[in-house]
Amino acid sequence: MRTDEPLNRGFTMNENLLHLTDVSKSFGEVHAIEHVSLDIQTKSVVGLVGGNGAGKTTLLRMMAGIYKPTTGRVYLKDGKNVDQMRSVLGVVPESTGLYSKLTAWENIRFHSRIHGIEDSVAWSRTLRFAELLDIQDSLHRYTEGFSRGMRQKTALLRALAHGPSILLLDEPTAGLDVTSARIVRKLVQKLKDEGGTVIYSTHHLAEAEQVCDRIIIVHNGTIRADGTPDELLEQTDTNSLEEAYVSLTSEVARPRQEDTINTSKFALLWRRLFTRSHRYEVSEDE
Amino acid sequence: MRIVAKKEIMEFVRDWRTIVALILVPLMLFPLLFIAFPLVMQNEAQELQELDVDILVQSDYIDENILLGLNQSNISITIQPLPSGLESLSEPLNGSTLLRSYEYDAILRLEQRNDTWFYSVLFLSTSEQSTEARNRVLDVLNTWETNETIERIEAGGLDADSTLNPLRWDGVISDADVATKGEQAGMLLSLFIPFVLALWTASAAVQPAIDMTVGERERGTLESLLSLPLSRSELLMGKWLAVVTITGVGVALQVAGLLFGIAFLAEDLVNVPSISISSVLLLTLAVGLYGTMIVALYLALAMRSKSVKEAGTVLTPITLAMIVPILLTQFINLDGVETFWFAIPFVNVLLALRELLLDRVILEHVIIWISVSIFVSFLTIRYAAKQFSREDIVTSRS
Repeated sequence: MRTDEPLNRGFTMNENLLHLTDVSKSFGEVHAIEHVSLDIQTKSVVGLVGGNGAGKTTLLRMMAGIYKPTTGRVYLKDGKNVDQMRSVLGVVPESTGLYSKLTAWENIRFHSRIHGIEDSVAWSRTLRFAELLDIQDSLHRYTEGFSRGMRQKTALLRALAHGPSILLLDEPTAGLDVTSARIVRKLVQKLKDEGGTVIYSTHHLAEAEQVCDRIIIVHNGTIRADGTPDELLEQTDTNSLEEAYVSLTSEVARPRQEDTINTSKFALLWRRLFTRSHRYEVSEDE
Repeated sequence: MRIVAKKEIMEFVRDWRTIVALILVPLMLFPLLFIAFPLVMQNEAQELQELDVDILVQSDYIDENILLGLNQSNISITIQPLPSGLESLSEPLNGSTLLRSYEYDAILRLEQRNDTWFYSVLFLSTSEQSTEARNRVLDVLNTWETNETIERIEAGGLDADSTLNPLRWDGVISDADVATKGEQAGMLLSLFIPFVLALWTASAAVQPAIDMTVGERERGTLESLLSLPLSRSELLMGKWLAVVTITGVGVALQVAGLLFGIAFLAEDLVNVPSISISSVLLLTLAVGLYGTMIVALYLALAMRSKSVKEAGTVLTPITLAMIVPILLTQFINLDGVETFWFAIPFVNVLLALRELLLDRVILEHVIIWISVSIFVSFLTIRYAAKQFSREDIVTSRS
């Protein structure tokens, strides 16, 4: 395998690569995503923009095959469900998910081996991107002491080492300093230039405008707008993306869905037994 | 599965505390016990023997030989007349105060009524010095009683030896046991090794099971793992293999330490058990099945938990509860044991361990415990697979 192969292996330019057809996702009685349909094309950087609890992460997890849709389907160009073809995906979760007792390279190698990639091939790919991210000297260091920026860069290398066709990035610049965030954005641009497809979740509109050539605004589990920045302005009849975003997401955002799942009724009832409502009377003087 | 297991083990052993907890402690535990235990026991016994104890003798008349015996046993004696108004010699009266204030370590009361001597020794059982004083007094009294008995028998014109011991064992008692030393060792260890194996397996699996499931979720590494081309079953089996390996190494080292201790440090007390190859193989299978059940159950319950704290709260009482079947099996008589015991999960494996250490391979029992254990292992793995298939396992609660 060539180590400098483009990211869109096996796919021709500008064709639909990933499809979401009328996808909904519920956790019990909580509807996290409702009736979302999307087509993701090759050689594009698609931004998922929304506030906290909008449903971006749930959407990304369905694209990564971690969550199965309650209704609808997430599938690739060849018709296979995405959970059967995870080898074409490179995923960088918000938490980065690095093992602190392993070195950066061991973290990368672990993922590459599961993808069935030879160590020498993964190493060549890692070195190539490590130079771009200026992290090549830290590949044999334990990730335990890494800064947030270093962790993010390592997670990116790990996601790229097996040569994915689609890169899913969940808040890749959250918590990064200006320089690190800029390096990450540059890498995304380079990947796109090489024919890669990147799905980029963020709640920073300015960042999405800078990096993405297509922006999808997600709010309360539904898609409110989908298009290029110019198309969004046109759709909302506004002068800036910020105004457009506000006009599209005017109703109150719901709480994060994950806070309400995974707790049994008995556990909730038990918790309430030991919970007091605190109300304090405040005198006028105070 | 192999790649996941290898990564888990590599990550686990890089923590030096893990090496201490799972390698050094089990390996050194029994050798240290075998060295330290006799040393401490010997030292303490010597200290007790060297103690001077004070006793109060309450009696209106004492035989000279008793006084001589007491003096030769490092006992300081104070003599008083017998208190009046006693219903029996064991009634404490002010004796309780004297003993509790440590003025005396024991009180000997002695009274002759016709040809018979009556006595009692008041002591404080919670004080080792008081108990030691009582034991020395009783030794002296026993010696005196034996001499007195012989004197009385001989005064009656009889032979004291044949009168006191009309029935006696001929030869060395241990020579009459047809069990070999190895079989005797197996009998002794059958009460001990199942306890060690079961308890250590149960307790050693807790930490890695929690760390590799809910711990991974709390650290935020599970999501990236779930995005890999790896089925949930492969993930479970990889983690299961890692926990079983770590636990197995710990248990094997502990047993090795135990056998080393027996062979080189306690050779006077117990021999290395002699068991057949088939028993050894079945022992390995029994431990393997027990480990499979425990680890799968722990992984499932830990994965179900919302936090490391909750997993600890769930698994710790389960580990403690494992003591119940472990203790239960120690009291079951293996001769004529009812077959139904071998159909009870966990209990059956522990009973099987005991039988096999005695080199008893009873086909009916073997078939039942293997079948039941395989079935229960299947159920626990299935339960674990169900927990690993839950979508909400990725949700970080930290």
